[in-house]
Amino acid sequence: MAIIEIQEITKIYNPEHVPVHALNGVNLEIEEGEFTAIVGPSGSGKTTLLNVIGGLDEPTDGKIFINGTDMFSLTEKELIDFRLNHIGFVFQAYNLIPVLTAKENVDFILQMQGRSKKEFEKRSRELLDLVGLEEKIDKRPSELSGGQQQRVAVARALSSKPDFVLADEPTASLDSTSTANLLDMMLKLNEEKQTTFIFSTHDQRVVDRARRVVTLVDGKVDTDERR
Amino acid sequence: MNLWPVIKLSWKNVWRNPMRSGVVVTAVILGTWAGIFTSAFMNGLSLQYIRNELENYTAHIQIHHASYNEEKLPSFYIQSVDSLIAEIENQPYVQSLTARSVVEGLASSPTNTFGVTVKGINVEKDTTVSSIYTYLTEGEFLGESTRNPVLIGQKLADRLNIRTRSRIVINFQDVEGNITAGAFRVAGIFDSPNSGFDESNVFVPKEDLNRLLGRENTVHEIAILVDDFKQAYTYAEQLRQSENIQVQAWGDLSPALRYTDSMLDFVLYIFMIIIVIALSFGIVNTMLMAVVERTQELGMLMAIGVNKARTFFMIMFETLFLTMVGVPAGLFLSWVAVTWAGNAGIDLSAFSQGLEMYGMSAMVHPELSAAYYGNIALLMIVATLLAAIYPSIKALKLNPVQALRKH
Repeated sequence: MAIIEIQEITKIYNPEHVPVHALNGVNLEIEEGEFTAIVGPSGSGKTTLLNVIGGLDEPTDGKIFINGTDMFSLTEKELIDFRLNHIGFVFQAYNLIPVLTAKENVDFILQMQGRSKKEFEKRSRELLDLVGLEEKIDKRPSELSGGQQQRVAVARALSSKPDFVLADEPTASLDSTSTANLLDMMLKLNEEKQTTFIFSTHDQRVVDRARRVVTLVDGKVDTDERR
Repeated sequence: MNLWPVIKLSWKNVWRNPMRSGVVVTAVILGTWAGIFTSAFMNGLSLQYIRNELENYTAHIQIHHASYNEEKLPSFYIQSVDSLIAEIENQPYVQSLTARSVVEGLASSPTNTFGVTVKGINVEKDTTVSSIYTYLTEGEFLGESTRNPVLIGQKLADRLNIRTRSRIVINFQDVEGNITAGAFRVAGIFDSPNSGFDESNVFVPKEDLNRLLGRENTVHEIAILVDDFKQAYTYAEQLRQSENIQVQAWGDLSPALRYTDSMLDFVLYIFMIIIVIALSFGIVNTMLMAVVERTQELGMLMAIGVNKARTFFMIMFETLFLTMVGVPAGLFLSWVAVTWAGNAGIDLSAFSQGLEMYGMSAMVHPELSAAYYGNIALLMIVATLLAAIYPSIKALKLNPVQALRKH
């Protein structure tokens, strides 16, 4: 069953001055449990597509349904709450709140969701354990390596039990070992917990391990390969 | 809306850049301390002036015959004065009082004549209410060694061209409205800071004046000192129980002093508001820097589900915490400094001549009411919240996508 339905999405920047067509009628369906890489050359619209799927950027035209909800029919406040409760985010950088420890970063989302202390204490420990950082829960981001920070970001993205996780170039700042470790961990979560991951990447090592690769060229889906 | 995670985050954000926060907190502490201490100094100086004026000339409360202030006739004396005095003396807030007979008259020396107010006083009682005797520069304070003694001001002595032991004749009406006169010998000369008062007031023993007025125990004025002169209006209301008398608090007797007192409060707050505004700009600057520096992080927070209200309150709380750390410390330091200086006094004897010209002492005791400290804390909080609005709105206007891209 498709958890994300993307219908004829168009995104034009500066429509009145110098129009830039970032997305040109993209149609795509993402099934639950998929491990999808969005690839393509620079300027092909990867990040824009991820931002639109994540509700961070509004499309010029077209619709996106997340589990049947027309995302852009929601009010701004509803959309922010929707992101909090249904979508997990992992960014390339500036992922974590520097003044909070790894555990507090994960707790933060759960606290905003209004979970009880007992509940978020248990869940954040479980998640950090899951990403292999049980020993680092009290460390601040500055005391963690880049790979470890991305693991905390994944744990935080999963904390709200989202419908899917969006990751924009998650390995771009990592060395090869950290990249491999992060991919192993994400694939494990995908296989064992059926977590849906959608990520944009330039990194061939990531592409090689993706189960579905969607290639964008000039804001259009060029190829859609399932492995 | 659950704000607790945002409040906790705001508190931690305050200490993200300890040096910068430390500078702001120090500025708040010093600003609060300097503002409050200077206010206390100005307040102490001004209150001392008001107290001196009241204790030298006006007293805190005066009671007269109901018609006396319309026309100062000797026949408008206070009826049943003994029972009234006994009743006033029973009031717990009354510290001291004196009963005076007062007439308007003409004082004549061999060379000149001048209009004066003659106050018949009980020497022992009057010194508990008025400090005018402390300004005696020549002679003695209506001692018993002189018959029909009179105490006059230096300015009047100069006008009448007389000195101690000189004789003057004072003409006035008695209680029946007849013209009468008495010869008095100058026992002492006082020189108070108020030369207008010195020029137009003379003091004689009450028995001597009443004998000339033709009625024993004549009292035109009861002057009262109470425990707190700021409460004089309330006390005056409590004493206003008869239609035959008029009870006036010092502010009604001396509007200029009342104006000084009310203006002082106003000036102190204006002074403090200026300091708070200056501090607020420092706080706004710090918070704007914090917002600009954390653009990407704010974008990330908005992206993961921190809504606009939470973002707004996060910056507001952060600003508030920054001030809330400094204000209590500043208030405490101020309280310590004001208490210490209030007890020890600040010696301004280098400027004593100038100060005494204005009825002020060279030793200033800074003082400030507890309410002022509370109001300053409130003022700081309100100013901080206002100062936080602009950086908070700036943060709200961030677009998460653009903020995350920012380098």
